[in-house]
Amino acid sequence: MKHTGSGGAGGPGNAGTPSGGGANPAGRSDGGGDSRRTHGPGRLLIAVYGIFALAASARAAFQIATKFSEAPLAYLLTACAAAVYVLATVSLARPGAHWYRISVAAVSVELIGVLAVGSFSLLDPQAFPADTVWSAFGQGYGYVPLILPVLGLAWLYRNRPAAPVAA
Amino acid sequence: MDGFLLAGSVIGVVSALLCIGAALLRQPPNDITILSVAAVELFLLVYAVAAGVRQAGGEPVLGEAWEFWGYLLTALVLPVGAFWWAILERSRWSNLVLAAAGLAVFVMLVRMEQIWDGVAGL
Repeated sequence: MKHTGSGGAGGPGNAGTPSGGGANPAGRSDGGGDSRRTHGPGRLLIAVYGIFALAASARAAFQIATKFSEAPLAYLLTACAAAVYVLATVSLARPGAHWYRISVAAVSVELIGVLAVGSFSLLDPQAFPADTVWSAFGQGYGYVPLILPVLGLAWLYRNRPAAPVAA
Repeated sequence: MDGFLLAGSVIGVVSALLCIGAALLRQPPNDITILSVAAVELFLLVYAVAAGVRQAGGEPVLGEAWEFWGYLLTALVLPVGAFWWAILERSRWSNLVLAAAGLAVFVMLVRMEQIWDGVAGL
């Protein structure tokens, strides 16, 4: 596949077409269901991921800058979570099979992360003296961190590229 | 800052409800939903000025001042970002993007209130 910079079919920078989702003519360069991935409900998903990316990044920067020595593991985890959210936000917003695979990987890592950190934080609270986004399955954030990757994977599966493409 | 928390919560939640309602009616973002998000941003600006004045007047943040201002700066970005993202592709889903901003600001205001009062355990 070609992914030359500006992403031909309606990338986030393409303000011109007020298509209500799914109205794209078929046969765009990124092909099949994948062109619907970055439109309609996909944009809401991207927005929620963006909020988490922003919040987790700000939190990680604050924690590492001011009190890193108190709980290095927890704060590094926040930083990792922030990086995963940023990658997921960017890749979900980009058309093309290349970015599709990256977003599947990022959202999967997010789901594994929230399940693993959530379990460990309940089984061994001593290891997590400070809260992270993923502690107790994201309880402090209304469990949105747990629901979000499930919705993300469902959305990606529904809008998977039409045929397996060798990059 | 209890009065501020109440006012901000009402503005954020009402804005989110208006946007969700418009989305359920399959409307793209309109004057009402966009202005409601603008009201959220306006409130945050007033909140920031008031917090600055109160801190300068010798009323310290009982929790971590850095965290309070971190939340506030992040919250100030949200309505602007949501507006930008919502008008790039105007569909009914864009109204839910605007609603997400109001809800997120509401949650962040609760956290800011906790930090201001020193309740924060984080």
